[in-house]
Amino acid sequence: MASHLETELGKLKNIIIKIGNLAESQVSEAMKSLLSEPGSETKEVKKTENKIDKLDVKIDDICQSVFALQQPVASDLRFIMSAMQISNQIERIGDLSMSIIKLSKSIKEKHELITKFDIVTIAREVEMVTLKTNECFENLDEPTIEEIFILNNTIKDKSSDAIDNIIGEMKNNSKTVVSGTNLILALKHIERISDHCTNIAESVYFMINAKTIKHEKFIEKK
Amino acid sequence: MHKIESKNVNFNYGEFQALHDISISMKENTVTALIGPSGCGKSTYLRLLNRMNDLIDNTQMTGSILIDGKDIYEKHTNVDDLRKNVGMVFQKPNPFPKTIFENVAYGLRVNGITDKKIIEERVITSIEQVALWDEVKDKLKKSAFELSGGQQQRLCIARALAIQPSVLLMDEPTSALDPISTSKIEELIYELKNKYTIVIVTHNMQQAGRVSDNTAFFYMGRLIECDKTKTIFTKPAIKQTEDYITGRFG
Repeated sequence: MASHLETELGKLKNIIIKIGNLAESQVSEAMKSLLSEPGSETKEVKKTENKIDKLDVKIDDICQSVFALQQPVASDLRFIMSAMQISNQIERIGDLSMSIIKLSKSIKEKHELITKFDIVTIAREVEMVTLKTNECFENLDEPTIEEIFILNNTIKDKSSDAIDNIIGEMKNNSKTVVSGTNLILALKHIERISDHCTNIAESVYFMINAKTIKHEKFIEKK
Repeated sequence: MHKIESKNVNFNYGEFQALHDISISMKENTVTALIGPSGCGKSTYLRLLNRMNDLIDNTQMTGSILIDGKDIYEKHTNVDDLRKNVGMVFQKPNPFPKTIFENVAYGLRVNGITDKKIIEERVITSIEQVALWDEVKDKLKKSAFELSGGQQQRLCIARALAIQPSVLLMDEPTSALDPISTSKIEELIYELKNKYTIVIVTHNMQQAGRVSDNTAFFYMGRLIECDKTKTIFTKPAIKQTEDYITGRFG
């Protein structure tokens, strides 16, 4: 007989997996929009965003109940603490994805800039880091945490290079200033998504090891 | 219709008024926890639900308590039938000096059931319901005193269930048990609410949070607040309740 607490925690885990998958699909839609690939209708994307927001609130509500009524300890306590943080990070990923979609619509010279500065690779990598983050949480898989940190660094480096190049392009060709600025903002959002994935990975690490690695250089530490 | 409905219940032990104007409604298949400091009247109220206080001299009750819409304090109420319908489990496990099997069968025999097959079926079902079957199936003929405290308490619950009540009253059922046995009983309460309406008195506020759907907070014989357990433990409406559950009382 599974305990009531175990049942609640199982339910919570499933909701986090669900919200994580929704956020992953939002990131994918955002990248399609950025790369001008065919994607879902805006209406559908907004619907998904609403679902994410509702699940985020639901997760907070369940966590509050578990804290107040079940007094979780040890691994259960770490799971609930992490669940609240993870849900918040996922909700932010959803918001950033929506912002990228909006920004993408105002990048006129998109094709030219995207191709020139290899934004495609960055887009694929942010999709990958989101996917890996969901897998990492679902399987509590420690090796994946390190992969997420490495991918995050790669995304940041590539994004930083691309931003430098876009600034150079804007200096040479003033016609690209509006599109370039929007693309830089989109790249910054991509970096933030990757950061949120890293934060989730840190929470998973805390769940597994009862050790906080926030604000530490994880890879260097290892 | 509520399963249990108390309206303006007052209760006196002689001159001392132990309960003041208690009105609570409880839905079927829910667990209601009664909490409050010692002497607040929660056990007195619980014992009113199967007229256990009738056994105490010089007491007086006013108001009404309805179970399934019938006033249990009405003149023609058959108290034996009432207690068959409203089972009770006490603080300390109190098995009879009989075998494990006979402890559960006792209530059936007292109630005139003689068919061996029926008795056997009910005993097994009741022991299974309290998740004790695997632990006792090979020693049904051994004395109930050979069981651990937690097992004895589950046996007492099985004994109460065997006569097929619809309401189960529990007066601090885990206060004499270790944490593992307590956890088993709590899980059992959670399972049993699918079939029974349960009212539990507990001194352990965390336990009230874990097992109940609704919580009633008593203080000095008065019902201060009764609401969903989640509401009581996250945002109680009355400051006294908040002070009690946060340990800032007094």
